Amino acid sequence: MAAENMNREVVLSVKDLKVNFRAYGGLVQAVRGISFDLYRGETLAIVGESGSGKSVSIKAILGILANNAIIADGSIMYDGMDLTKVKEDTFHEIRGNRIGLIFQDPLSALNPIMKIGNQITESLRLNRKMKKEEAKKVALELMKSVGIPEPEKRFDQYPFQFSGGMRQRIVIAIALAGDPEILICDEPTTALDVTVQAKILELINQIKKERNLSVIFITHDLGVVANMADRVNVMYAGKVVETGTAEEIFFEPAHPYTWALLSSMPDLHTKDRLDAIPGTPPNMIYPPKGDAFAARNAYAMKIDYEMEPPMFKITDTHAAATWLLHPKAAANGIEMPAGLKARIERMKRSGALNG
Amino acid sequence: MKYVLQRIGAMLLTLFMVMSLSFMVIRLMPMSLFENPEVPKEIQEKLEDKFHLNDPLPVQYFYFMEGIVTGLDFGISVKLRPGLDVWGIIVSRLPPTMLINFISLFISIPLGLIFGIIAALKRNTWIDSTISVFVILFISVPSFVFASLLQYVLTFVFPIFPTLYDSTATTLGAMMWSLTLPIIALSLSPIATLTRYLRGELIENISSDYILLARTKGLSRPQAIVRHAFRNSMMPITSTLVSLITGIMGGSLVVESMFAIPGTGGMLVKSIFAGDHFLTVAILIFYSAISLVTILVVDLSYSLIDPRVRVGGGK
Repeated sequence: MAAENMNREVVLSVKDLKVNFRAYGGLVQAVRGISFDLYRGETLAIVGESGSGKSVSIKAILGILANNAIIADGSIMYDGMDLTKVKEDTFHEIRGNRIGLIFQDPLSALNPIMKIGNQITESLRLNRKMKKEEAKKVALELMKSVGIPEPEKRFDQYPFQFSGGMRQRIVIAIALAGDPEILICDEPTTALDVTVQAKILELINQIKKERNLSVIFITHDLGVVANMADRVNVMYAGKVVETGTAEEIFFEPAHPYTWALLSSMPDLHTKDRLDAIPGTPPNMIYPPKGDAFAARNAYAMKIDYEMEPPMFKITDTHAAATWLLHPKAAANGIEMPAGLKARIERMKRSGALNG
Repeated sequence: MKYVLQRIGAMLLTLFMVMSLSFMVIRLMPMSLFENPEVPKEIQEKLEDKFHLNDPLPVQYFYFMEGIVTGLDFGISVKLRPGLDVWGIIVSRLPPTMLINFISLFISIPLGLIFGIIAALKRNTWIDSTISVFVILFISVPSFVFASLLQYVLTFVFPIFPTLYDSTATTLGAMMWSLTLPIIALSLSPIATLTRYLRGELIENISSDYILLARTKGLSRPQAIVRHAFRNSMMPITSTLVSLITGIMGGSLVVESMFAIPGTGGMLVKSIFAGDHFLTVAILIFYSAISLVTILVVDLSYSLIDPRVRVGGGK
């Protein structure tokens, strides 16, 4: 798969993106220079805990950052345009029509007092100037394709008459209405039951294949990543700390933060107590000198507190920002924790990845 | 339909309680209705007998209720308009009060909405701050203070408007001219109240997830706000209409007296001071009835705006 990606067409390219927020305490550096490419037809997962800057980065891509946000540096290239420089007056032609978004919380994402049908057809009628009947036909087709039974009847109902999973299907239908080529999923299953989660993920995979979508999938749930992703970016404190294919991230993780994330993921076989990551993420008004993860890192070295590690290339597709990969440190032979190693062996044997 | 009947039933029950309470409170006040040194004692007693004033209070209450239910008979005025039917007085006094109250309501609603929208869209700019300063001023200072200020500045210092209501006006224009100041005085507070509520509601709705969804599906920001935030903000605003209307009516009590407007509001104040109990009770009940009808209309209009009330109620 790694080789395939190299030949593929890049649809979206983020270069050195920096996003700050003006807050009362000072300037919050939410995203501190991230770069990644999205290839056509792939699913790129962005993983990280709350406050790591993953949602902020996709909001920057969609041009829906809050008013107090500043894009300090970098570019987001899409179809020859730099999205960081597109004016708000014209951005709505890209949103929905070219890049769609699926929300975290389908319960609050739908307008409670507007009929479901109108919420799906609204942008078709406003932006594509479709006739009412024509838009309705498209909407019914979409509702059918996202698995809504009796779409004709459901078309005239209100959000409160739908269950959480059904609402998320509607949100997906709305995101697909503009026929986008990039679909961004911002933790689309966090607010749903586990059984419903699986169905929604299946649906996203299915429509991705049908429409040859390029998907950016934001989550903090590594189990979901294993099911969905071709490639993974691990983010911490506003930076990408490790990037690689799903196999590389799950089977050969290189960054201590990725180790910690994988160790804290529950599975059916581990009898030991799960490892939690000690401490909390740093205050991003005053990001620490050196590696931002150093203070929580059991493997931190002196240099981690002084200098920020660059990205060390491991393979053509795999890189991580940790001094452990520096030739001098690598000589010491620090390896991932034994428990995690055993767990990865189990995952390899059971074929946990289907991505 | 069942919901409508329930609401009407609740309204009638409330009205009954208001009637009982205002009867009790006013009648327990220490003032004889027919006290007048020029009228011989026997005649006073005869009159008191005729109006059952020497019976125990519960019996009086029974007669009072019977009169209202059987023929809108609230008794007669004994001090301010001796001998006249109270209901007739209210009806004849109604037009000026209704005129200034309704005009001030119909001025306040659009102005309040416009300022609320402007403040919400220009949040945290100098425009928003300026509006907020006036909002606080107009909400916290009662309407009669503005009435006297307006009266002083615009009729005495700069004599533009007449000081008092022009009851001899022959044209509608002249009459409205003399009603301008009281209408302005009455409108300031409701405009400010509405502005404040709508600003808050809109700001909350603009930062909601469904506005974000509306924008990510390709609506421009103005489209998203007009089509989604505005209607959702109107629901809580509807309930503030009740307090708006009762606020205007309450302010009207004093403002009518200050501008010598021959309306029910001024009449109520005068009747209390004069001890014209039948009249006081009747006007109190009348005002309560108007408020209750307002509440009923607002309650019922929810179902028009909010499908959750309409569809959910049918289940």
